[in-house]
Amino acid sequence: MYTYDIHALNQLLGSIIQDNTPPDVFAWLMKQGNSNDTAAFNAAFVMMPRKTGKAVISVKPEQITQLNVTRPNLSVEGWTADRLGRVFLLTLADTTDKNRYVKVVENLFLAGEMNELVALYSALPLLAYPDCWVMRCAEGIRSNIANVLEAIMYHNPYPAEQLSTDAWNQLVMKAIFTEKHLELIVGLHERNNAELARMLLDHARERGAAGRDVTRELWNLAGQFEGAGVINNLKQEYQLN
Amino acid sequence: MCCSHSFENEHQPGTVPEVFDISAVKGMKFFDPHVHMTSRTTDDYQAMADAGVVALIEPAFWLGQPRTGLDSFRDYYSSLVGWERFRSSQFGIKHYCTIGLNSREANNEALAEQVMELLPLFIYKEGVVGIGEIGFDDQTAAEDKYYRLQLDLAREAALPVQVHTPHRDKKRGTQRSMDIAIEHGLAPYSVIIDHNNEETVKEVLDRGFWAAFTIYPFTKMGNQRMVEIVKQYGSERIMINSAADWGISDPLAVPKTAALMQQQGISAQDIELVTYRNAITAFAQSGQIDETEFTSTIDQSSKFAGNSILRGGQQPRIDKSSIIIS
Ligand SMILES: [Zn+2]
Repeated sequence: MYTYDIHALNQLLGSIIQDNTPPDVFAWLMKQGNSNDTAAFNAAFVMMPRKTGKAVISVKPEQITQLNVTRPNLSVEGWTADRLGRVFLLTLADTTDKNRYVKVVENLFLAGEMNELVALYSALPLLAYPDCWVMRCAEGIRSNIANVLEAIMYHNPYPAEQLSTDAWNQLVMKAIFTEKHLELIVGLHERNNAELARMLLDHARERGAAGRDVTRELWNLAGQFEGAGVINNLKQEYQLN
Repeated sequence: MCCSHSFENEHQPGTVPEVFDISAVKGMKFFDPHVHMTSRTTDDYQAMADAGVVALIEPAFWLGQPRTGLDSFRDYYSSLVGWERFRSSQFGIKHYCTIGLNSREANNEALAEQVMELLPLFIYKEGVVGIGEIGFDDQTAAEDKYYRLQLDLAREAALPVQVHTPHRDKKRGTQRSMDIAIEHGLAPYSVIIDHNNEETVKEVLDRGFWAAFTIYPFTKMGNQRMVEIVKQYGSERIMINSAADWGISDPLAVPKTAALMQQQGISAQDIELVTYRNAITAFAQSGQIDETEFTSTIDQSSKFAGNSILRGGQQPRIDKSSIIIS
């Protein structure tokens, strides 16, 4: 049900939380993982900031290295303590009954406020039954809340691993429309494709016709599938650079 | 906006009402503890921010159209802590909310039962500063039942309560709301009685509750009446709000009333209390208000690695005086 070593991950996230919160918080957190008591599990998830605070965590270099071994391309650097606490809580949930597990997590998405949604989308690469969250991830990309989008797009290996080509292309286009840092998207070049290149060049034409600029990274992506001549002609025609 | 002649009309009743001069409240900051932004436009957010509104509370209420299922309640509550909160942040206004089952919809008992089960999932969320707005509308038995159940919920969660008082049979409904709150073990200091008027304010204050006033054209308080109330009762435990919603209402009611109070000799300290500080004191009993978050518009959790929701998030200004839209 997990594609990675969940025990190693639990230990690692646990140690980062221990380093960043008072001892009683970790002790409390370790008792909240019974997702079969849904009300208590929900309450723990919701009230996390009251327990952990919202300070940005510090992560040791060896923890960064270890995380990259256990779950490559995932980064927790810059996360707040409540975000990590919520993601950790989700990794403690009981996964034996697949339907029940999916329902519990889905229900948190349905009632999530902004910071909860950030934590939930950050947790996608760590949830059990990875194929169950594809629709949810695509739904998240439709969000217009910037920090929710960033939780999906930045340092998150889930979209590149699971999304269909169409959904992936929507992610990249949405990132461009909302002026995200494309270089933080995991798998940007690995998932690049001819259809996306076509969409990017059409987008460049639209922008050019409106007298607006495009991000430079667009040319790099399109350039992997379109010839330099096509791109240079387009740039000249619309006076883009 | 013209500013030099706006004070000239001050003592000439019967002339054209003077224009609200935004420079009169320059440098002041306001907290509107009751405003239904879901029903308002981005222009309103912009105008509120320009007039000095730094934070607001959006109480859960009746959307004008009855909800027929639980999911629409859930989506509404989710939008109060999600999309609307984000929308507000784009204009630099810190958005809080109160969550509750409003009195009108308490009358659909089958649905009300389900909503009561849903509430615990929302009331402990960040930025939820109370249970509200709850209370009486028609003063039916069902309204009484769900008002009481939600008071119990507020007591358990240690959250303030924002009480909507009825339009019809107001005085009786207000008294009854307070009696029941005390009966259910709530401290009057944790209960904000809303939509007061000249007839209700004395008893509310005498019994130790907070008295909120809604400055709302035609149906509730006008702000000239509000000035008189502050002159008579002072500023202790009194706060004003706009309750702006889908009706003909004014999201600038708080700053406008501050300007009027200033013109008519209310002290700066009293103005600050009734338009800012008292609402914070009352609702901060939830433990969910952090004033340091007002000015930055970005709470710490959304600011990391040099990124913030403002970059790519903050609404750019458009020049509305220009015929050119680019
Ligand atoms: Zn209201």
